[in-house]
Amino acid sequence: MIDISEFIKFIEENFDLVSGVPCSYFKNLLATLAKQEEGLTIKHLIATREDEAIAIATGAALSRKRALVYMQNSGIGNIGDALTSLVQLYQLPMMLLISSRGLEDDIDFPEHSIMGDINDPLLETLKLKYWYLKEEWWQKIMQEAITEMNTQSLPVVVMVKKGVLSE
Amino acid sequence: MRGYEVIACLKDYLTEDDLLVSSNGNISREVYHLLTKPQVYLRGSMGLPVGVGLGLAVMNSDKRVTVITGDGNLLMGFGSLITTAFYRPKNLRILILDNTQYYTTGGQKTVSTAINYNKFFESLNIEYFKSLIPTEMNLKPVLSEFFDIGLLSILHLTIEEGKQDLANIPWHPTQISMEIQKKFLKE
Repeated sequence: MIDISEFIKFIEENFDLVSGVPCSYFKNLLATLAKQEEGLTIKHLIATREDEAIAIATGAALSRKRALVYMQNSGIGNIGDALTSLVQLYQLPMMLLISSRGLEDDIDFPEHSIMGDINDPLLETLKLKYWYLKEEWWQKIMQEAITEMNTQSLPVVVMVKKGVLSE
Repeated sequence: MRGYEVIACLKDYLTEDDLLVSSNGNISREVYHLLTKPQVYLRGSMGLPVGVGLGLAVMNSDKRVTVITGDGNLLMGFGSLITTAFYRPKNLRILILDNTQYYTTGGQKTVSTAINYNKFFESLNIEYFKSLIPTEMNLKPVLSEFFDIGLLSILHLTIEEGKQDLANIPWHPTQISMEIQKKFLKE
């Protein structure tokens, strides 16, 4: 598991706002964020839906701030219009941190299985560039995604499997 | 009053530090043609303008951000009103122009009339809210309060249907982004 304090430090250095809908895969990250809320240099807004988080991030991006949006991959089902008619159309940079549900760990959670199967082709159909976060070299992976986000001025996706950001 | 008549009245209240987020269809078109440029003219993005306004407001406390949305668009992202009420940014205004229809797509009914807006806003504990039918007489004092109160405020206006024949917004969305981002570069 990635050191959560180091990960938050990295987020603080590279982003101005965080918003999203939680996943248990982000439990440690979100608990630490909540604990440190007062001392953070970034703003954290809890959203009611994943597309609302994208909208909040859009407000940040329009004013030249960088936003990170977190969600379960079930949320990909909720953000199609927010991506295609807003973020991608207006060419706004932001990072989406998405938990990779529906893999072997989720065998008892059938609600995730279909999205788990179509996750990568769906991202490709949505023309989203994506990376899988790994404990080793995580800074390098994040940095690569950030560079792509900034140079293309487009949303990028970092997928997070179980155990990478939580026990 | 009609929506475009209300929008035309806004020009007396807008300063350099104002930023408007207009919802899709006719409202964005009217804001583009009737008020100073650039503003955040959303196309598509159904249910998202309140969230966009919230993001702009919390990240830019020196700007006064006003979201102008229709009832159909608002209903699609209704949760954003709750999120906004939770964070209560002082520099955010939400103007709802409610003609109880999806007017841009041909006047199909929305379910907006099911809401008692005054009771709903009251439940959110927002410092300033009003729900009324605007007239030439009552609109100006209400707009003065709405813009000047210095706290999160929501104004719901029940308007008559009707639009002006205005051309499509000529700017591509990437130009809209660029013009808005330029405003933030100068500071």
